[in-house]
Amino acid sequence: MTVLILTCEEDVTADMVVVHLHATGVPVVRVDPADLTGGVSLSGEYVHGRFRGHLSAGGRLVSIGGLRSVWVRRPGVPAARAAQPSAWLTEEAAQALYGMLRGSDARWMNHPDAARRARHKPWQLRLAQRCGLPVPATLITTFPRAAREFAERYPELVVKPVSGAHPQDPPRAVPTSRVAPDTDFSAVAFGPTLLQRRITKRADIRLTVVGERMLAARKATAEDADPDDVDVRFAASGSPWLPTDVPSRIAPGVLAYLREAELAYGAFDFVEDSDGTWWFLECNQSGQFGFVEVETGQPIARTIAEWLARPVPVQPSHVNGSDTRVR
Amino acid sequence: MQPFALNYARPAVELEAAVPYVYDAGLQLNVLRDGRVAACDSALLREFGTTTSTAGSKTHFDD
Repeated sequence: MTVLILTCEEDVTADMVVVHLHATGVPVVRVDPADLTGGVSLSGEYVHGRFRGHLSAGGRLVSIGGLRSVWVRRPGVPAARAAQPSAWLTEEAAQALYGMLRGSDARWMNHPDAARRARHKPWQLRLAQRCGLPVPATLITTFPRAAREFAERYPELVVKPVSGAHPQDPPRAVPTSRVAPDTDFSAVAFGPTLLQRRITKRADIRLTVVGERMLAARKATAEDADPDDVDVRFAASGSPWLPTDVPSRIAPGVLAYLREAELAYGAFDFVEDSDGTWWFLECNQSGQFGFVEVETGQPIARTIAEWLARPVPVQPSHVNGSDTRVR
Repeated sequence: MQPFALNYARPAVELEAAVPYVYDAGLQLNVLRDGRVAACDSALLREFGTTTSTAGSKTHFDD
């Protein structure tokens, strides 16, 4: 059975996993939905109560019924590179591709429905709270007065995008940034604003979870670090990422989070305070892992490959909703 | 009228540097000019930052 990888050609991080799958002889088909209907073709028929579907890409043909897993990595927008792309064609291609794949018995990393829900940062914060993970005091509001009152309660604040997305017109980045206590919050009225108590950190933590395997990396904060350098993605690279253990009080919460979120993969960001407490910031359902593996040597790509290569569990057949197993 | 968070925006850094590998549809992998698999070259991956968590990505925000 085949592993289907939905990603773009330039995704060299996916390559790290493909290398392991090749080494173990597991069939792989790599598809970028953006290449529908050029280099990628599909067909599926629903006849006599059965479904038969196929995907073709790069000269490879795979049966949808023959998929053991689907890895949604960095897929392009469906049909984006079609001869005559349009929003309508994108929707048609997305419905055809993902609709057919949803009907397969393959295991997903991660299922599109779970992935879509898991991208909502406010939902992440609430789920983390429910799972017992420490969450910094956070306010999401369009009320300037609420923001001012929050700043009085928590003078050390950061602001970050609610969605995690960045504006593209023109292209800009909005890093997590420190907010001065005397800031004018009137512009909060013009867009939902996420304010969060700034945790004085002694390290950033990247916890990559594949299935139930946790691989944590820690990047110590330099003692002379500028306190305004809140966002590790934008700070000058100082100390390296190093493997670290997951605290016993954190591990169950992380696994509960993934279980509740129905995710097979998650890249968690925490900050570690001076007491050693890990504070939950977010969980990226398709977060990058290559940079961690390159620096730490942790076998993340191999672990993903092993997860994807697992056989599909035997599904009991159903007819009109009834279990047909003989008991 | 600008949302509050955009007061902290900065120009996005575009990673447009040409990478020294191309996609090989036969292997389903990116390969270097000498035929080696790019993903097996850790030094190269580190240099080009192509596996890094990149805030400001145009197409993805699952960093």
